[in-house]
Amino acid sequence: MKAIFIMNFTKLVEWPQSYRQGNFVVGVVGDSPLYTELVKMSKTKKVANQSLEVKKYISAAEIGKCHIVYVSKSESESLASILKKVKFNSTLIVSEKQGLVDKGAGINFIVKDNRQKFELNKKNVEKYKLKVSSNLEALAFTVK
Amino acid sequence: MTKRIYILLFVLVFSHTAFSQFVGRDHLSVALFYMQKAELDSAKKYIDLAGEDESLRTEAKTWYYKGFVYKDLYKSQEKADKNSPYRLEAIKAFEVMKPLDVENEFAESTSKILKYLASTLYNDAVRSLSPETYTQAISHYELYKKTMKAALPSTEFNSQDVKFKMALASMLNKPAESASGLDSVQVIYIKKLYTEILEIDENNPGANYNLATLYYNEAADIINSMDYDMDIVQLNKIQDYCIEIFLKGLPYMKKSYDLNYKRKETLIGLSNIYYGLNDIEKSEQYKKELEELEKE
Repeated sequence: MKAIFIMNFTKLVEWPQSYRQGNFVVGVVGDSPLYTELVKMSKTKKVANQSLEVKKYISAAEIGKCHIVYVSKSESESLASILKKVKFNSTLIVSEKQGLVDKGAGINFIVKDNRQKFELNKKNVEKYKLKVSSNLEALAFTVK
Repeated sequence: MTKRIYILLFVLVFSHTAFSQFVGRDHLSVALFYMQKAELDSAKKYIDLAGEDESLRTEAKTWYYKGFVYKDLYKSQEKADKNSPYRLEAIKAFEVMKPLDVENEFAESTSKILKYLASTLYNDAVRSLSPETYTQAISHYELYKKTMKAALPSTEFNSQDVKFKMALASMLNKPAESASGLDSVQVIYIKKLYTEILEIDENNPGANYNLATLYYNEAADIINSMDYDMDIVQLNKIQDYCIEIFLKGLPYMKKSYDLNYKRKETLIGLSNIYYGLNDIEKSEQYKKELEELEKE
């Protein structure tokens, strides 16, 4: 399900012009079943006219230019290093641990009543020169 | 010419002798005569006539013997026919007889014959347990119960119901294990069968495990066939629906776990259901238990 959320984020967040060429890159830091799902998705789906490319990173140091970086739960402690690494990029940081939306992540997955939901920190998204659509705000469980 | 007259005379005399023994005898007596001689087709002819006779149709013995003749006809001519009309006719005759037999003159014998006929219906029900003929199996089983109840009103069917429904549900559930899968109508019917089993025997391990698995598979199939382009509003609706299904399956899988049934499969089932419920901690807990078990 998270892959479908990610696909929606690509449509409800606007990247700068320079990011609308080449592949649309999603990096996954650490081990997560989402990586396999995203790879599967990349075989059939595009983001607008950009091909979807999924990369797996073991550590923050490996991260290159990405549109989205997904921080797996096991790598939550590395969030600060990841933020440092993408500081000058237009990268949407998506995490999956309670509280990370207050520590720099733009979007954080949470579980409420067994359902997958997401929190949004608009400021953390926009500081990377990304625009958040009002629809995404409306769909978020909480907006900060 | 003389010779021809003799032959004709002989034929007339012989026919008179043969039939004279029935003169003044009713259809029932004639039927009994043929029954004793094991001439069932003739016995059938006269017992049918007796059943239509105003003076005989109110007699319990008419219907008892009708049932008897038709039972023998079934045994000798239609044993291999799962839909034997003779067997049905025999059961029907005993049904008509029952209220007429106020003295219970035929009760014991009727009960024995009905038990026999019921057992043949049960066997045919079991033999019909295939995807092509399972509806026949169900109707045979229902008729078995009705016949057995007529033979022995105190008969209790709970354990047999469980056995039959388990066999039926397992047979119908087989495509679920192959690539062909089950359609939604089949899933609803099989779930109904397992639910009925659990109403009788809530600790039935197979029914608990299989019902839980049906629920899990239903939700998992929906999730696996979701389009990546689905919008979040639609996704949330599907999530709600799938969570509801996972939650329905959970108590049955937990019961299977408590009953220590198919340990490995149940642990996988619990881990998967909790994963579907986004309860990763519990999902991992059962996964670990499975790993421990596999080490043993």
